[in-house]
Amino acid sequence: MSSNDKEHLHPPAPVVDEVSDFEVLEIAVRELAIEKGLFTQEDHNQWTDYMHTLGPAPAARLVAKAWLDPEYKKVCVEDGVKASLDVGIDWVNTMPTKFGTPSDYCNLRVMEDTPTLKHVVVCTLCSCYPRPILGQSPEWYRTPNYRRRIVRWPRQVLAEFGLQLPEDVEIRVVDSNQKSRMIVLPVRPEGTEGWTEDQLAEIVTRDCLIGVAVPKPGVTANGKRPVRPAVNPYKH
Amino acid sequence: MTDINPDFIELDKQMSDRELDSSPIELLEKIKQEGRVWDELSEEYGVDNPDPPWRISLEATCDGLAGGYWAPFNICLPEEERQPVMADDNKIDSNERRWEEDKLVDQHYADVPFPERQLLALAHTMIRRGMISEDELAKHMKAVDERLHMADGLDD
Repeated sequence: MSSNDKEHLHPPAPVVDEVSDFEVLEIAVRELAIEKGLFTQEDHNQWTDYMHTLGPAPAARLVAKAWLDPEYKKVCVEDGVKASLDVGIDWVNTMPTKFGTPSDYCNLRVMEDTPTLKHVVVCTLCSCYPRPILGQSPEWYRTPNYRRRIVRWPRQVLAEFGLQLPEDVEIRVVDSNQKSRMIVLPVRPEGTEGWTEDQLAEIVTRDCLIGVAVPKPGVTANGKRPVRPAVNPYKH
Repeated sequence: MTDINPDFIELDKQMSDRELDSSPIELLEKIKQEGRVWDELSEEYGVDNPDPPWRISLEATCDGLAGGYWAPFNICLPEEERQPVMADDNKIDSNERRWEEDKLVDQHYADVPFPERQLLALAHTMIRRGMISEDELAKHMKAVDERLHMADGLDD
């Protein structure tokens, strides 16, 4: 038996063993765009490779560091782009400078929660999202339902996410736009005294960074969200 | 409290004034009805990945079509270092694409899950803007499908 055979003794991971029409459509649209010179294959490859590296881990790390270091927290609040450098995200000089939408990498604002103030992020215009530090936006973030309702009834919408806030907590909805992207710096939860940065980073999930959840010891993943259409969206 | 983003109202006015044809497209209707979405496939095959493998590629295509590769709006760069802007008819502004996606999803693709609906809306937008034709998309899909099935029936 060769060493290669030994490596394959474990059962194979399940794969989808058929080609869907959607997969074919995605390839066809992309290849036609390239054929027509709208962008190059090389550019597409480079951007795809970069996008695959993105996720919420750097933002979670930023929050954990800020919880442990008051001086770093100040930097986060005053200059999110500078603070991002400490978690390996260079909004100005790394690959995104030459790619993507410019607002992805020009102005990150870190919105600090307090025990009486809760921030939540939305993009009412489309679905602006701080991709370099948070990865791809979740489906619900893109929907007109979330975008229209969170600014009108934030307390109710947060409750639908399972986040029920006391009446004395002010909710501030911050609107991402072409110039600025936001993440939330939540309040460090009780029960995390003496925790390491790694332990703290684990409980700062994507939803906590958008502001629709708060960190809790033992919770390290986002719940699945049902996506509902808007019943009465703007001008429809 | 901010209710409706003023930028959205302006965008909505601009886009409404353009009167884009949002009628259904036969090819995309067929895919909508017959195509198997990732939610269905991943459950059937026991795959954990919540997104289809082509999702990031689709995002990159959207960014490419926005002209982002040429950094036309890159205010981080000194003016002399910025790349040339693509001609308007060769790109789809991201906000316009998202506006059209919302509208098309509402009208035609509300029952299709994400990101399949994003893909259908993008193809719809490109066809209606004349960037590709329905016929050439159908032909290219056939060619891609044949290519992807070339190894079917061959021994490993």
